Amino acid sequence: MTDGDPSLQRRFAAIRKRRWFILGLLGAGLLGCLWLDLMAGPAGLSAEQIVLGLFDPHGLELRHRIILWQVRLPDALIALAVGAALGLAGVETQTILDNPLASPFTLGVSSAAALGASIAIVLVPVLPLLPEAAMLPAMALVFALGAGVLVLVIVHYAGGGRETVVLFGISLVFLCNALTAALHYVADADSSQQIVFWTIGNLTKAGWPEVWIVAACLILILPFSLRQVWLLTLLRGGEAHARSVGIDVARLRFWGILRASILAAFAVCFVGTIAFIGLVGPHIARLLLGEDHRLLVPGSALCGALILSAASFLSKALLPGVIVPVGILTAIVGVPMLLGLLIGRRRQA
Amino acid sequence: MTRLRVRGLAAGYGQTEVLRDIDLPDLADGQMLGLLGPNASGKSTLMRCLSREKRATGLIELDGLGQDRAGSRRWRAKVAAMPQSPPAPSALMPMELMWSTARALDLALSDAELGRRIEAIFEATGLLPVALAPLHTLSGGKRQLVGLALALIREPDLLLLDEPTSALDLRWRLVVLDLVRDRLTRQGGMAIAALHDIDLAARYCDHLALLSRGRIVAAGPPAEVLTAANLATVFQVAAEVSTRPDGGIAVHILHPLRDDG
Repeated sequence: MTDGDPSLQRRFAAIRKRRWFILGLLGAGLLGCLWLDLMAGPAGLSAEQIVLGLFDPHGLELRHRIILWQVRLPDALIALAVGAALGLAGVETQTILDNPLASPFTLGVSSAAALGASIAIVLVPVLPLLPEAAMLPAMALVFALGAGVLVLVIVHYAGGGRETVVLFGISLVFLCNALTAALHYVADADSSQQIVFWTIGNLTKAGWPEVWIVAACLILILPFSLRQVWLLTLLRGGEAHARSVGIDVARLRFWGILRASILAAFAVCFVGTIAFIGLVGPHIARLLLGEDHRLLVPGSALCGALILSAASFLSKALLPGVIVPVGILTAIVGVPMLLGLLIGRRRQA
Repeated sequence: MTRLRVRGLAAGYGQTEVLRDIDLPDLADGQMLGLLGPNASGKSTLMRCLSREKRATGLIELDGLGQDRAGSRRWRAKVAAMPQSPPAPSALMPMELMWSTARALDLALSDAELGRRIEAIFEATGLLPVALAPLHTLSGGKRQLVGLALALIREPDLLLLDEPTSALDLRWRLVVLDLVRDRLTRQGGMAIAALHDIDLAARYCDHLALLSRGRIVAAGPPAEVLTAANLATVFQVAAEVSTRPDGGIAVHILHPLRDDG
């Protein structure tokens, strides 16, 4: 501030502008990742073929068209949708519970999904007449939403007390993990392996219907989150402050957890429990964009999508000819990003 | 001209009655009432009843506005409370917190107007240099000032201050109370402050109310309320009360009274 002392509003406007710019950069980065993700794969599609195929599918030969439209695009897009949903769910949970370690996973949503999926894997082949392919995500979804409902009941009876919610959510995680372990114990080796594979999380089974469902869920819920950005920002000033202003914190918490549970349930039910994004996506966004939720809410969704898209790219590019399950890579991508930002922040300070 | 009247206010948590038969001195425009009393005497609860954060029975009337549900929104628009605990030490900047609070309250201000109002409040509270610093880098006292700034953002008719100076050092205590008084003189409105410091209360308030175990022990002008007998009853201390040359009251606390049960 050598050039005199510009007014507070001007400096504030400059900070905001810079942050919107960073948000734009994140969006650009996301497009870049999407492009890399589309390019990666063993079929050897060239960049021209991909661009051509995106705008004029029939200009491609059939084999390439199928690879692009039935394999790469759905995989790449579900990475964006799931990542964004988890990032959004994460930032809502963290703000609403005023807990930096909270994520959709501490609410028990994903463990319940894993339990539902395990039940489907172990029991469904035994039961006749049920289509296995649809049962697995359906069971995962039902269990995940069930966990969300249980948490909401607790929120209601705890009067919105946030420690109770976190404690209950973590207890739910332990319970679901125990029951899943029990299923492992009784399951044959094949089912057991399927369960393990599902809980790692991978994108390759998703097709267009899954992409549309998760994307629709995200598009329906995001506006509700965006409508709450002032209240969520205000809540970062503490519960006492929010109450003194006349905000019904318990109500805000109820709706926030409802949104986060639905998002997380739909995000994990098709692709497995992709860990970590709901926790770290919001933190990366916070380090880049600050605590103003007008930026942080879309920023967290973008960061979540960015991490998962980058992980999806790596899952294909890391070992030629092999697709590593993406769940293995999310933390491997996310931790360096977070560490880099933390170290950068340290240097600045 | 009376603007705030409180008669027979009662409130509790579940079965436990916390406040009973609370009559407060009537407040006219520009006046400030100080609430004094030991911890757990019900000061904070009374504050929360007045801000409508908590339900209470009895007569509570501000500019003719009663306690009915329909008037709740209008009540909230007239009254602002500064809670005892300062804003949480997050990475949020005071400016952002002010801005989002104003927007969450639906204040009908353009961005430019809001910016000017916030700047003026920060100027008055001495927060201008830290307006864009993360809250977690601010001292407890500074954050308490942010709490006051937040209460001022909607220019309330009734300002409720719960221990507004507890984290502040000597100079800022005076600055804050001067600021509140100055605001009352220039812009009108009323203030009620729960205070620990008897001297400050005597100096800045037009009326005082002494609370003990959820009841009013004495209420009125400081000279009537602050007597050695009242202080002994409420705080269990021996005190000497004298009149200063300028007409104000000086209270010297001597020693704790023996607890005779």
